[in-house]
Amino acid sequence: MTHCVGPRAASLACLLALALAGCGTADREDDAGAVAERFHAALEDADGPAACDELNEETASKLETQAKKPCADAILSLELPRAGTVADTRVYVTSAFTTLVEGGSDFLDEGPDGWSVSAAGCVPTAPSQPYECELEN
Amino acid sequence: MRRFLRDNSLSIVFLLLFLAALFGQAIAGHADFNNNAQSHGDPTMSLGRYVLSSEFGSAVMENWQSEYLQFTLFILLTVWLLQRGSPESKRLDEAGRESDQAQKVGPHAHQNSPRWAKVAGIRRTLYENSLVLVMGTFWLGTWLAQSITGAAQYNAEQLDHHQDPLSWSHYITSASFWENTLENWQSEFLAVGSMAILAVYLRQRGSPESKPVGAPHGATGLEG
Repeated sequence: MTHCVGPRAASLACLLALALAGCGTADREDDAGAVAERFHAALEDADGPAACDELNEETASKLETQAKKPCADAILSLELPRAGTVADTRVYVTSAFTTLVEGGSDFLDEGPDGWSVSAAGCVPTAPSQPYECELEN
Repeated sequence: MRRFLRDNSLSIVFLLLFLAALFGQAIAGHADFNNNAQSHGDPTMSLGRYVLSSEFGSAVMENWQSEYLQFTLFILLTVWLLQRGSPESKRLDEAGRESDQAQKVGPHAHQNSPRWAKVAGIRRTLYENSLVLVMGTFWLGTWLAQSITGAAQYNAEQLDHHQDPLSWSHYITSASFWENTLENWQSEFLAVGSMAILAVYLRQRGSPESKPVGAPHGATGLEG
C-alpha cells in the first residue's frame, strides 16, 4: 500500500485547518459586532435609513413587502432593542451571532461588502428550536 | 534527474495525483458552495476565501483522518493478526513483534542499519514504533482538525436556521460529527479487508501488493 500524502504536507495542512477554524476570527467577530452596534445605535437615534444600511438586502426587502412601506419607515415601527451593546459575538464561516447586553440576539451574514444584519430582536423559544425574531429574512 | 524521477516515481506520481485531486475538490466544492448559497439567498464567497474556510477544511480533514486511521490500524494490527494466503499478512509462524535477530536490532543490527536500530533504550523503542507513532499522530491531528472545522461548519448551518451554535465539546458528541466520521471509517475498513482477502485468490502480475501469479492460494506473506 502507498501513502497518498507526504507527512510534512499533512502536518502543515492540519495546522492550517486548525488555524482556519480557530484563529483569525477575532477581527471578524469585532467587525460583525460593530455592525450590530451601529444598527441598534441608528434605531436609538430614530435614523431609519442608517439602520436599513446595516440590513441584509433580503431582510430589508422582506420587511418592505410585509410592511408595505419603505424600509427606513418600517424599521422604526418594529419593537427592536435600541442602543444595543454587544456582549458576545461568534462567527462561523459566513454567519455570525451576537448577544446584546440589553437582551436579545442578532444574526448576521457576511457578503462581499462585509457583514449585514439578517435577523434582529431574536429570543430563544425552546432548546434546539429556532429563535423567534422581531425582524428576519 | 531522470534516474531520480524513476527511483521515486511512486511518491512523485501520488503527490501529483493528490495535488490535482485537491485542486479539483477546491474548484468543485467552491462551485457547489456558491450554488447552495445562491439557492438559499445566502452570500457567496471567492475561491480564495473558500479554500481558507472551515467548509473546505472540514471536507478535506474528514477524509485525511480516515486514511491515516486506516494505515495506523493496518500497520499495528498486522503485527499480530494474520490472513492465511494473503500477501498483506506475515507468515503464519511470525505473529507478534518478532525476535531482535529477525528485526536486525541491537547486537543483530547490520553496519548499514539505521543508527537508532543499533542502540538500546528509549531511542530504539521510539524508532521501533516510529511508523505507527507518526501515522497515529497524523490521524489524531487530522481528526481533531475535522472536529474543529466541522463544528464551525455545523454552527454556520445552525445560525442559518436561527438556532443556537454548539460548543466544540457538544459537537463531538453530536450525531453529525459521528456520521461524518463513521461514513469515512467504514469505507476504509472495507477497502483494507477486501484487499487482504481478495489478494489470497487474485493476482496482479508485477505488483508487490500481489503474490506472484503462480503462487498457490495458501502461500502467506509472499510478495510478487
